[in-house]
Amino acid sequence: MTGLKTFITRRRGHGGRWHWTDVASWIWLIGGTILMLGPALWLLSSSFKDPAQLAEFPPTLLPYVQRVAEVEGFDTPLPLYTVTLPGGETRILAQIRRLGANAQMVDPADPALRISVPISQRAPLREIGLATANYTDPFLHFDFFTYLRNSVFVTVTATLLTLLTNSMAAFALSKYRFRGRDAVMLVIVGTLMVPLSVILVPLYSVVSRVGLLDSLWGVILPTIATPTGVFLLRQYMLTIPDELIEAARMDHASEWQIYWRIVLPLSAPALAVLAIFSVVWRWNDFLWPLIVLTRRELYTLQVGLNSYAGELNVQWHYILAMTVVTMIPVVLVFILLQRFITTGIAGAGLK
Amino acid sequence: MLPFVLAARVLEPVLALWQRRTGHAGMIAVFLIPNMTIFGIFVIVPLVLNLLYSFTGGAEILLEQRPWVGMQQYERLLDCQNHLQPMTCREDQFWRAVHNTARFVLSQVALMVTVSMITALILNRRIAGRGLWRAVFFFPVLLSPVVVGLIWRWILQREGLLNLIVVRLGGDPVIWLNDRFWAFAAAVGVSTWAHMGFYTLILLAGLQAIPRDLYEAAEMDATPPSRVFWRITLPLLGPNLAVVLVLALIRAVQIFDEAYVLTGGGPGTATMFMTQYIYEVGFASFLRNPGLAAAASILMGGLLVVLTLIQLALSRRAERMRQR
Amino acid sequence: MGSIALRGICKSFGGIEVIHGIDLEIANGELVVFVGPSGCGKSTLLRLIAGLERPSSGLIEIDGRDVTRLGAADRGLAMVFQSYALYPHMTVRQNLSFGLENLRMPKAEIAARVAEAARMLAIGDLLERRPAQLSGGQRQRVAIGRAIVRNPTAFLLDEPLSNLDAELRGTMRAELAALHDRLGATMIYVTHDQIEAMTLADRIVVLRRGRIEQVDTPLNLYNRPANLFVAGFIGSPAMNLFRTEARGGRAVLPGGIDLPVPADGPVVLGIRPQHLHPAGPDEAGIPAELRLVEALGAETVLHGITDSGEPLVAVIDGQPAVTRGQRLRLAFDPADMHLFDAGGRRIG
Repeated sequence: MTGLKTFITRRRGHGGRWHWTDVASWIWLIGGTILMLGPALWLLSSSFKDPAQLAEFPPTLLPYVQRVAEVEGFDTPLPLYTVTLPGGETRILAQIRRLGANAQMVDPADPALRISVPISQRAPLREIGLATANYTDPFLHFDFFTYLRNSVFVTVTATLLTLLTNSMAAFALSKYRFRGRDAVMLVIVGTLMVPLSVILVPLYSVVSRVGLLDSLWGVILPTIATPTGVFLLRQYMLTIPDELIEAARMDHASEWQIYWRIVLPLSAPALAVLAIFSVVWRWNDFLWPLIVLTRRELYTLQVGLNSYAGELNVQWHYILAMTVVTMIPVVLVFILLQRFITTGIAGAGLK
Repeated sequence: MLPFVLAARVLEPVLALWQRRTGHAGMIAVFLIPNMTIFGIFVIVPLVLNLLYSFTGGAEILLEQRPWVGMQQYERLLDCQNHLQPMTCREDQFWRAVHNTARFVLSQVALMVTVSMITALILNRRIAGRGLWRAVFFFPVLLSPVVVGLIWRWILQREGLLNLIVVRLGGDPVIWLNDRFWAFAAAVGVSTWAHMGFYTLILLAGLQAIPRDLYEAAEMDATPPSRVFWRITLPLLGPNLAVVLVLALIRAVQIFDEAYVLTGGGPGTATMFMTQYIYEVGFASFLRNPGLAAAASILMGGLLVVLTLIQLALSRRAERMRQR
Repeated sequence: MGSIALRGICKSFGGIEVIHGIDLEIANGELVVFVGPSGCGKSTLLRLIAGLERPSSGLIEIDGRDVTRLGAADRGLAMVFQSYALYPHMTVRQNLSFGLENLRMPKAEIAARVAEAARMLAIGDLLERRPAQLSGGQRQRVAIGRAIVRNPTAFLLDEPLSNLDAELRGTMRAELAALHDRLGATMIYVTHDQIEAMTLADRIVVLRRGRIEQVDTPLNLYNRPANLFVAGFIGSPAMNLFRTEARGGRAVLPGGIDLPVPADGPVVLGIRPQHLHPAGPDEAGIPAELRLVEALGAETVLHGITDSGEPLVAVIDGQPAVTRGQRLRLAFDPADMHLFDAGGRRIG
């Protein structure tokens, strides 16, 4: 226990008392944690609230669901309320319907007796619970499943193609000397600085000319020749000793075998970093799919989500649930592969 | 993965044959062509076409159907009586976007560098659970802009969490995103929230590369903490800090998605930035004008090229410093 | 003045104790060397004295004043780091004056002190260079210069020569000894190199696993090691040790050498390789078969194995005509013998 205490209270410097900077650091870190994680947790909690609860102000911290009871003579379960009767007595009653400022209530134990109660005198009886319909409905009644499938297809295909084509090019650019190699590298480094937003119009016309408008391939292909990927892999492959390749040639390996059997496996760490980033990039892509895809059934999650949120009659309970679903893969990648990602950034300045 | 492995198996003898006939040169071509083709079609060609588009007019998307108009698009973009007053410009939306972007870049980069610098300095202390804290601050970086925008729209809405806090503290609820000032502040704050973890990580890596014994030597030299920061930490972090600064600038100039999802550019044009202007003029508006969008994107691209060249020079210097 | 005293110093990291109750007095002007195998706590002990670490318990006194709770800045000591820890973005001059500026010393005096240190260390023409533009030996001088300008109560040197090549190390060792003579200041010097320890030290502190094994002058350590560890650690090649049984005041070694010993029960007999010589015809000697002969010119190192399978090393002057595989008997003067009890402590 003292070990834990010294671990937590360990500071720069040595022994001695708490310095004000130690206090300030902890305030910053704890405040920062609330600010960084709070919004996502708030989203998660809200996504399990039913529409009535979402419309409430002030909102509750946790999601609640209305308690209901089966009452004889009614087909569907009725919502339960705590009612304060004129005599000051409180009872738990089920509501049959609301009529203006009054509600018609019934005692579940005595279904014959109807009581009319002013709505100001009743409070819903709730318990912590999850409105899972927010999650199931978008899959069952909207195109959400289609969006999800489109996003998965785009992400997986683009990532695999990125790894393959970029690693082939990186291999050629790192392990052979040929005329024009430096020129190719210069072009690649030069285009590292060309963001999508700068070539939006002509890229659109090129994609339309090759007939890929309103096609998921129109989303995938322009992204897979990322100069960043070639650059990252080449830098890594340069560290693989050339002697290894010469030894393989002495062993009669063909050039393709050298690439596929030797250089590729040895580049696994760099490939892993690129794969992780490619998955996150493609999953999160928004502007380009927004431009290329106009038919709803081709939307990716990000575009679909934005279009739902942009509709006049915003159904927040669905939007919130779908946002959580959209977030899940990235959160999983983050939790499982955090170390790879942080070293990738610290090493290569990727994002 | 399997299809790739199978394809590689099948390709092996074919490529061995090809190598026998063409030698290394043929194989280099095989390795380069897939990437270079895609790269050429979707990056190089558009780059060249962009210039051509900016000299043409009309609403057609196919280049051959577009009339040549020379410098007209640029003239239209740049024609202003007073560049500081968007209303006096012919293309007042563009200048509003330019002004908004400039204000955004200045405030967001200042906020971003300050916040991530403080966080990196704190994480560099001998603090318990450093990896965990680092992960916490990094978490939003991976979220998609759409998710970021929606999360904050939900918090900033009239019945949202922020108003709950405001009311609890005794204030009146504000419709944050309908207010010109607050919507702009939200765009700045939210984009900082989403990306600060990235810059924190770069700065932290820089701080950790400073040898510990330099600090111990400074301690033996009886150096006051503020002097340690200004004379040792900052100069040695300098190159990393410069890279972060320029990188944040480049990204801020291109701000689009999270702000777009958060505010849609509104209220009015309070949060319309350059990329959104290009997107709307090029694709989304009724009076779409690809030539104008291309001209605007070339102006923005020029700015980015300058910034990137600075960044490359700085990161090369950082690399040299590290090798020493 | 620069006397330093350690009283019952203990230090633990994360619940693991690495220094177990060190008591030591260092007199003003003395050059004390901490020596021991890696992980013995010698660097930690130096950092505790410096104030870069705080002891878990115990007292540190400088000139009779308790400084245990004082920070490194307030102890008036200067340290030379193993890596030199020169500020890479400052010139040599800035490196030297940085600590003096912290003390708000007048500019003229700073300049004078820097010039004096530069003259003493012959680095006057390097003052405007940065550390990256210096050679290893030059960096070493600058690091020492940074300590000298402070005019400290004592100098702490943490393996200062370990990053230099062998030749330079020899030169710098001599310069350090000269510097100590000239400055007359207290110095504490940490090293794992026993030649540095033997040549530089007024007194050597031999450390093992966070405890002091012996404190004495270099020659006393060599001549009268207090225990088996010191006997094995000081001197190269290491002392030959024979485990045997003493009965009735006598012990017997391989080859029938019968020696009087002031003990009873299991003992360890030690004899330095330099004290062995080939036995004369009627001299008793330890028989051994030579496994390796290293002829170094001035001397020859013989690695042998006794009949009972124990290794035996002897250093013979000159170039004796011996070859590998040859059997030899090695004799010694009983006065050169070291005797230890079963617990490893010296007897007599």
